[in-house]
Formats: sequence, structure tokens, C-alpha cells
Amino acid sequence: MKQRYTKPVPPRWATRLLQWYCASHVSEEIQGDLEEEFDYQVEKFGIKKARQDYIYNVLGFIKPFAIKKRSSSTSTPFLSMNMYKHYLVVAARNVSRYKMFSFLNITGLALGMTCCLFIFLWVNDERGVDNFHANGDRLYNIYQTVRTNSSVTGSYTTPVRYRENRTYIPLADIQAAVPEVQYINFYATGYGLPWGHSETFQVGEKLHKLEGSRAGKDFFSMFDYPVIAGDEKTALADLSGIAISRKMAAMFFDTPQNAIGKSLRYENRIDFVVTAVFEDVPVNSSLKFDFLINWESHMTRLDWASGNVLTTLQLREGADVKSVEAKINRFVQTQLDKNEPFKIELGLQPYRDQYLVANFVNGKPAGGRIEYIRIFSGVAVFILIIACINFMNLSTARSVKRAKEVGVRKVIGSTRGSLIGQFFGESIVLSFLALLLSLVLLHALLPVFNVFTGKQIVSPLADRSSWFLLPALVIFTGIVAGSYPALFLSSLKPVRILKGVMRFTNSALWFRKGLAVFQFSISIVLLIVTMVISRQTSYIQTSHLGYDRENLIYIRIEGTLSKQDKYLAFKNMAEKMPGIALVDRSSEAPHAMGFVVDDQDGVAETNDIEDDAIKWEGKEKGTSVGFKPVSVGFDFLKIMNLKIAEGRGFSREVTTDTAAFMINEEAVKQMGIKDPIGKWISAWQKKGHIIGILKDYHTHSLHEPIKPLIVDVKEYEYFGVIMVRTEPGKTKEALASLDQVYKTINPDFPFAYQFLDQEYEKLYRNEQVVTRLSNAFAILAILISCLGLLGLVMFSAEQRTKEFGIRKVLGATVTNIVRLLSQDFLRLVLISFCIATPLAGYAMYLWLQKFAFKIELSWWIFVLSGGIALCIALATICVQAVQSGLTNPVKSLRSE
Amino acid sequence: MKRTYLGEFEEIVLLVVAMLDRQAYGVNITHEIIEQTSRSVRLNQVHAALHRLKDKGMISSRMGDPTPERGGRRKRIFSVTAYGRQTLRDIQVVRTNLWNLLPSSMKLITDL
Repeated sequence: MKQRYTKPVPPRWATRLLQWYCASHVSEEIQGDLEEEFDYQVEKFGIKKARQDYIYNVLGFIKPFAIKKRSSSTSTPFLSMNMYKHYLVVAARNVSRYKMFSFLNITGLALGMTCCLFIFLWVNDERGVDNFHANGDRLYNIYQTVRTNSSVTGSYTTPVRYRENRTYIPLADIQAAVPEVQYINFYATGYGLPWGHSETFQVGEKLHKLEGSRAGKDFFSMFDYPVIAGDEKTALADLSGIAISRKMAAMFFDTPQNAIGKSLRYENRIDFVVTAVFEDVPVNSSLKFDFLINWESHMTRLDWASGNVLTTLQLREGADVKSVEAKINRFVQTQLDKNEPFKIELGLQPYRDQYLVANFVNGKPAGGRIEYIRIFSGVAVFILIIACINFMNLSTARSVKRAKEVGVRKVIGSTRGSLIGQFFGESIVLSFLALLLSLVLLHALLPVFNVFTGKQIVSPLADRSSWFLLPALVIFTGIVAGSYPALFLSSLKPVRILKGVMRFTNSALWFRKGLAVFQFSISIVLLIVTMVISRQTSYIQTSHLGYDRENLIYIRIEGTLSKQDKYLAFKNMAEKMPGIALVDRSSEAPHAMGFVVDDQDGVAETNDIEDDAIKWEGKEKGTSVGFKPVSVGFDFLKIMNLKIAEGRGFSREVTTDTAAFMINEEAVKQMGIKDPIGKWISAWQKKGHIIGILKDYHTHSLHEPIKPLIVDVKEYEYFGVIMVRTEPGKTKEALASLDQVYKTINPDFPFAYQFLDQEYEKLYRNEQVVTRLSNAFAILAILISCLGLLGLVMFSAEQRTKEFGIRKVLGATVTNIVRLLSQDFLRLVLISFCIATPLAGYAMYLWLQKFAFKIELSWWIFVLSGGIALCIALATICVQAVQSGLTNPVKSLRSE
Repeated sequence: MKRTYLGEFEEIVLLVVAMLDRQAYGVNITHEIIEQTSRSVRLNQVHAALHRLKDKGMISSRMGDPTPERGGRRKRIFSVTAYGRQTLRDIQVVRTNLWNLLPSSMKLITDL
């Protein structure tokens, strides 16, 4: 045993902790004893036990006899009841004596708190979406990651395959293969949630369009949508069964109980029997449906609006997600064709996350609304800090007066601890008042806020979770806001205060200026952010999409309209009616085309080029182009006002045009085809020539780049939408005419229509909400900062009253004095501007990356924001500066 | 006779201090208690008890000489004051009296 031996030492942090809290008169013996004991333990039980024991001992010594006393000289009780009362009286006197200061203080804090509370409510509400299911922690959505040679994409769709003329879902038998899966549910979606369009139901004379979906038999066992009539176990088990909402039951059958067992005619085609009535779907559910048709019907006898299936699994208690994921993948590979030209991988995402994290990056869920939640939570904290800084600035500004009080208190024998306690207590009382004010504000503004955000948020007082938040908010604000005055004022030396006029040290001044800079930086950042976001939003809403979206109405083709003669009759009759310019059809509403055909969507199951959905002259094997296919009528180009880049549009006069195609410029680029006009192209069974190239136009939201488009022409198709171009300013007449024609031709379906421009704007709801919120918050932040600035100026003016008096006596004008006062503060705003610009610029650069089409981050946005901040600050300063400039020097110089 | 209340643990500590006779300090008091009573006792508990005893005036203390094994720190050596000794004796007397007053059957059981 000639090894070099290092003596074991006790954990260093514990020793440090001990040294920190331990009173000096006992620290030596305690440390000594502890070390001796430690060595003894090392010898006897080994290092591990010894260290553990040492830590326990150190913690155990945190007892009154060993803890440092703040002051060993005075032994009065920390605060007696009388003192509490006294402090309250002093606080109340201070509030009422300096009404302006107190008003600024409390308003500033209240504004900050209101803002914070609103954001909290919003965040809480967003987090609550899909989070109300009792089995929530065992519910998982399946998402698929599709890998091809060139790309990785992800989505919530579950693979669907066609084989032997049947649609089947490879995942259907997963329960047998993976025992951890307790329930599986398929939920049909449109191109996105919810289902996408409403469907028509009829009972006797009653005719209504409602939105709903299809779901598997275990749906009600997995999700907490309470069933109020009928049996939830069998509700969706029967082929002819349908479950409907309370609202729908009331529409058709008056009461839920009445509805059970009654039959409903669906789309004038199939009769369903009501098997269950469920409570109306709550607002915080991302699945929205008024009815659910059983999955068997969906698979066997209903139309597939799209192949999109959302699969949710409920795992058994204690199942390991990773291993289930692996098993599911193994199982699916056995079900899929080996020759598929792409690789599918399935993943599980907790069901409750799908609302917040619904974007896919590299085929995995990442980001989404959660980003806004993070940003706004950050904003909430910053605004609260701005408000707290205000409080600090205002109370230190007032501290010249209060310093005397501190001096007297100290002389009489107050300890520093009790002074700190007093100031903290005061700020907590003030922040409590601010909270009351902000609750009043909150309740007054809540309806507006709900309209703003499109939510139905209730008062936080009604919600248990915020009972914890409100006191926490008061204490946090009180402590942060009171920290500087409490720690600073209590540290003043009584001799110096009482001797004469108190001067602040340079560092104290710098600290306050620093705070003001911080405040203004945040405000300017928020201003810039707001400007960029609202400009981007308005860019989206006003940018030219390549087609004319005003005065466009679309109607879904359903009922008898899907018959050729009826459709043509409708078109001919409607075109003759007043207010209507043109009528034609399209297979999809043109502002948000969701359907993409490429070799990734599961239509092609082999690598063979002959099987590709879309082929063209000179296509190379392995090229994959994601086409948006659309089938339109002959007048579509005219209705939409589309521009042709090359070649010509469809024409009824040219008989071969029924087999003609048009593509857009993007398609030409991606297909790598030269001189495309006249080359053959085929889509599914149809083969024809390219007759024209369309100028690129937006077929979906501006989040995505323009995709290749392939357009074919058909006078009639049994699905899709009817597009109606109305004459400008005659919308009312047009709607009346359409209603009339619709009723005569398609009497079994209610007339329902959408305005294209309105639907288009709905694509950007999220951005709009964010714009509104950020507008409001930027204004608030500026407002609060200005309150703070006002306080600083007031302070500075007060300190320099005599100086200004002398200056005026010697001949200074009001302008001189205003300039003198403003200079300093304007410099602060300029510094803040320099700090804020790069920060905001970078953040906005990142945000804009999410859009394929975006505005430039031009310099004037920054300059304008800075200018606004400067002007507001200047106006605030001037209010006070002019006032002190106008003061009669006799008054300011008289007193001493 | 009025006397200061002495807790059971305090009594043990006081006895051990008396037993160790001018050598008593935190660590060896602790070890002695563990050895004699086989209780699991912590250093901090002993220190706290010593503090209380000192406040009650039953023990006095002085700083000893520095020793190398504790990083050169001094020990605080405790010794029992006259008052402490008196208290211990009082307790002893009270107990003995009580024992003598026990019925003989009880004594037999405990003697076994």
C-alpha cells in the first residue's frame, strides 16, 4: 500500500453553506467537530457514508443557536404588533401625501399585472386544449415520417393503401400484434382538422348542415366526451349507428332522450339510427364534431373526402412508449409492400401535445403554437419587470424625502432588517392595491380580449389554478419592485443623511439610468416586433395572389348537383340571374388546395415508372414532383382572372382540349422540361398535351412556397365546388339569385356558401391573433415605460429646483431649461435604441423564416420604431420640464 | 424545591459530560452516547443540547488547545457546573425515592 494517499474531504458546498450561515462565535467548534467526525466516519464506514453524514449534519445545524444573528447588539423582537401598525400608517400616509407618485406607481404596476394576467389566461387556455381527457397521459397520436431519396416529410396521416379494389389501413390489426395497445381509434379528417366541410342531415322537413366526422367504436371509451343518452360502449359499433351532439339532437328531436333510436337521413343517401347523444364538444377540444359516424360505414359505404386518417392509441397502464413505437413499426413493415419507393416510419406523440406542437421538422413534430406560448410568456415576464422597474425608479426618486425618515429611524434604533421589512411590506401593500385595480381592469376588458383572441376565457377568480397565481404575483411583484428601494434606502448612513442634503453616488445614478435603458430597450423591441408582425400580416392579406379573390363565392357540389344535367342547368340558370357574372367549377376551393399528388402519398406502391400517377414526356425514372392537381371548368381561368405566361388557355372551341393540360411555371421548373408546350403529359388515366403555362399563383397559404400545379379541364365533375363570380357591389342580389336557383335544383340540401376572401383570411387566424396581442402589448409596454420616465424626470427636476432657480435668475429661458432636462433622458432612449435594434432584428429574421413569402426587414421599420419611442419619451419629459422651467425662481430659491 | 426542567436527552448529555470529566467536547460526547445507549445520535443534536444546558447554567465551557486532526481548530471543552452537578444529584434522589416506593411485586419483575 504505497499508493499516494489524498486525504478525503467533506463536500465543499456543504462546508461553504455552513460557513455562510453559521454564527462566528460557534463556527470554529462546529466546523472542528464536523471535520473530526468526518474523519472518524471515513475510517469506520467509508467515504460515501461519511460525506452523506456530513451533509446531514450541516443541514441539521441550521438551528437558531448556530445561525448568524443580523445584529447582535439589539435584542428587540423583530417586529412587534405596534410596529406593524405603525408601518401601515406610514405607508398609507405616504400614498396619500404623494398622490401623483402613488398614482403612477399603482397604475404602472396594475397595467403590468393586467397584461401578465391576460397572457397567463391565454397561455393557460392554450395549454388546456385537448388536455381534459382522463386517460390523457396514455393517449398517443400516430404520426408518419416519410423518407424518399430526396426528402423527409411528416404528418398526422396514417398510411392507407388500396388493394384488390379495397381501401385498407395497415394499422387496423395493431391491437393483436402489440398487446400494449388497449384501444385504437381512427378519426377521419379533411385536409386538416376539423373535417373540412359540413354535411347535410334530414329528418322529415328539417334540413340542416352540420360538421362532423367518423370514428372507431372505442372512441367514447378513450376520449372524455360525455355521453348523455344511449350507451357509449355500443354507440359506434353498429354499421347504421350515428352519435350526435346535444345541439344536433335539439335541432332534430328536441331532447336528447327523444333522439335515441330515431333515424336520420344523411346526404339524402343513407339512413342512420341515433345510438347515442353526447354533450356538445367543449371549446378546448381540437376535434370539433356535431356527429360521429361509425368507422365501418366510413370504410364501406361513404365517400372518402381524402385519405387522411388520424389514428389515436390508448396504451395500457405502464406501457413503455419507445418499445411500443418500435413494435408498431415492425408490425407496419410487415403490412406494407416491400417495393414502395419510400420508407414509412411511424411515431407516437402524446395526444395532448398535438395542438401545441403540430409542425413537422425533418418528419418529426417540432414547434407550432408552443412557440407563441413561449414568446408571450416571455413578454409577460418582461412587461412585469418593466412595471417593477418603474416602481423602483419612482420610489428611489422619492427617496430624498424618505431618506430623512430612514435617518431618524436609524438614529432611534431601527435595525437594517426592520427597515428592509418595512419597505418590502410597503411595496407588497402597493402591489396588492395594484392587483385589485388590475382585476377590475381585467374583468372590464375580458370580453374584448375574448373577441380579440377568439376564445371563451372566464375570469381567473372562477378558476382554481389562479388562486395560487394571484398571491404569487403580488409577492413576486412586491419583492422585485421593492428590492431596490428596500436594499438601497436601508443602507444609507444616518450621519450623512441627517447632516445635510443627501447626494446620490454615481453608481446609484447609473443604476437607475441602466434600468431606464433596459425598460426602453424592451419597449423598442416590442415596437419593432409589432411593426414587423403587423406588416407581414397585412402583406399576406393584401398581397396579390395571382388571382382576384374579391367577389368570389363558392358552393360545395352535393346532392343532385353532382349529376351532370343538374349541374349544367344550375350553371346556365345562375349565369343569367342578376348580380352574377360567371359560374364555373373547380375540384377544390382555389385558396387552400390541400391535395397533393406525388409518389409519397401512397398512391404509387411500386418503383415502376408506369405506375406513377403523373407522367410526362421525357420524365426520368426516380424524379419526384409533388403536384397539386386540380380539375376545372372551361371558364375557370376567366373567373379567377389567372394570367397565362405562355401558350393559351382552355377553350370549348378546340375539341381536343378535353384532353389538354395546363401547368404552372413552378411545375415547368421542377419537371425539368424544355419547351413544354405541345409535349404530352398524363395524369391517371387521362393523357393529353400541355397547351399553356400559367403564371404562378398561390393555391394555399403563404406559409408554403408555390407548388407545381397541374390543371385539367372538364365541363362537369361529381365533386368539388361551384365558383361564382359576382358583379362588384351586387353581392346581395347575387346571393338572392343563387339561393333561388339552388332551391329549385337541389331542394334536399340547404344553400350554403363561402366567400373566398373571408375563407382566405381564416388561413391566417393565428397571425391575426398574434398581431392584435402584440399591438396591445407594445402599447402597454411603452405606456408603462413612459410612466417610469416621467418619474425619473420628476426626480431630476426636484433635485435641481435650486439650480434652475439660479439659472432663471441669471437669465435662462424656459427652452434652455427644457433642453437641459431632456438631453440626459433622450440620450438614454438613444442608447436603448442601439441595444434594441439588433435584438429585435434578429428575432424577427427568425420569425419571418416561417413564411415562404415575406416582407423585407427594411431599415425604416427600425428608424420609425425608434422615432416613435423617442417622440413619446420627449413628450413625457416635456410635460415635467416645461413645468419646472415655468416655476417662479422666487419660490424655488426662497425656502431653505 | 424548584428546579430547572431537564429533558431526558439533556440529562444523558449532562451525565456524559460529567463522565468524560474535563475532556468532553462535541465529537467524543456523541460517540460516548452512541456507545453507551446505542441510540443513533447526531452531532448537531448534541450541540443543540449542549447549548440548552449552557443556557440553563448546568455546564460551562472553555476553548481548548488546537489539535491537528481537526484542521488546527480548537475544541470547546465542556465541564459540569456546581449547579449542574446539584441538578443531577437531585434527579438521582428523586428517582431513588420513587424506586423505593414501588410495590415489591414491581421491583421483582424489574429485578429479573
